[in-house]
Amino acid sequence: MNALRRLLRREDLHSLAAPYALDSLDAGERRRFEKHLDRCEHCAGEVRALSEDAVRLAWSTAAPAPAALRERVLAAVRATPQEPVPGRQAPGRERTPQLPPHVWGTQPPPARTRTPRVRPLLVPLTTATAAAALVVAGLFAVQAGRTQDRLDAERARANEIAQVLAAPDARATSSKDARGRGIAVIASATEGRAVVTLSGYDSPPGGRVHQLWLMRPDVQPRSLGLLAGDTPLIATGLDASAMSLAVTVEPGGGSAQPTSQPIAQLALKSVGFGE
Amino acid sequence: MEADELLVLVAGGDQKAFEDLYGLVSGPVFGLVRRVVRDPAQSEEVAQEVLLELWRSAGRFDPARGSALSWILTLAHRRAVDRVRSVRAAGEREEREARRAHHPAFDQVTEEVEAGLEREWVRHCLDRLTALQRQSVTLAYYDGYTYREVAERLSLPLGTVKTRMRDGLTRLRECLGGAA
Ligand SMILES: [Zn+2]
Repeated sequence: MNALRRLLRREDLHSLAAPYALDSLDAGERRRFEKHLDRCEHCAGEVRALSEDAVRLAWSTAAPAPAALRERVLAAVRATPQEPVPGRQAPGRERTPQLPPHVWGTQPPPARTRTPRVRPLLVPLTTATAAAALVVAGLFAVQAGRTQDRLDAERARANEIAQVLAAPDARATSSKDARGRGIAVIASATEGRAVVTLSGYDSPPGGRVHQLWLMRPDVQPRSLGLLAGDTPLIATGLDASAMSLAVTVEPGGGSAQPTSQPIAQLALKSVGFGE
Repeated sequence: MEADELLVLVAGGDQKAFEDLYGLVSGPVFGLVRRVVRDPAQSEEVAQEVLLELWRSAGRFDPARGSALSWILTLAHRRAVDRVRSVRAAGEREEREARRAHHPAFDQVTEEVEAGLEREWVRHCLDRLTALQRQSVTLAYYDGYTYREVAERLSLPLGTVKTRMRDGLTRLRECLGGAA
């Protein structure tokens, strides 16, 4: 009886290839069917073919994208890290070779690898655009398991960041050294504000700190504050003369003027400053 | 360069390749998303998410499993459908009332009459399906309804809708042929 019911349910699943190719399963069914695809050669083949047909329907809808979209996407791309390529160090992935685009489009293959995953903190943003939200999520790529207080504080900061991101002239830029360490900035020249993140650096030893400086021509560097780990810092009061940013290692509490060579630098010209 | 080659370069972190890829696919992605989502501001938002996702997850594309364009459009469609469903879930009541007020036309696929050979050709082929095949396919693909909702809207049993969808797609394939 049980076996019969299982058989019937499976029978039912076999008939979902076309609705699946059209994206017309609800979330629960979609998940169940994707599991089924893992095991059912027949459905996997059918989905592959029917998905190609469905995509033909997409072509007829092409329409020029708004010009502003390009600028926003490209700026976001410059500030957004890429996911590590799955499969390279994950031998377990061989188990899902026949899955169609639909499946790998949705989520990385179920985590069969044991590598600890860095989970981006999803920040609810009402003012910023979706890409901006992703940038923020990237900036806040934190390990799961932070305390609620910490998360609340980060969310509050995220809202502040969202304001910079929502500025019509918000632009992003970043620099990285050969070891992948670097500094990333999202800035709005009209607001005179920038969100700055340092990534890949260990905390300096002996209670020393990372200090951020604003460099301008013919003027002493101005301190923009201390950078704590990879937490974004919001720099304000930037004007057109803002040339570049620099990070130095300073004694605990920071210095009035830099006392060492910069470990990272970033020109601000591409984000609308330094004229 | 073709989208396939570009996507592989993008997976390696090549921002210039991404710009080229953007030039190739932003129109199809945006058009598809707008067709499903309808609302212009939300369409732009979803298209932006999708295009950025291409950058972030380009490494997941496997050329052995299909063309880059179909991978990209499949992703765009999935995101668009997810959006339109969550919007619909939020405003379900209003929609129920609106639906009671007037029955919407099912064949909305023909509403955008912008020319374009591919568009004309797809429309031609859609016209050659039976009405139920066409409605099942377009309500699902262009309007983002689940097959259960499609069945309800067309007052058909679930099994029939699933069959119409498959037959519709298969017939479409025959009509569209290999001309991509
Ligand atoms: Zn099956």
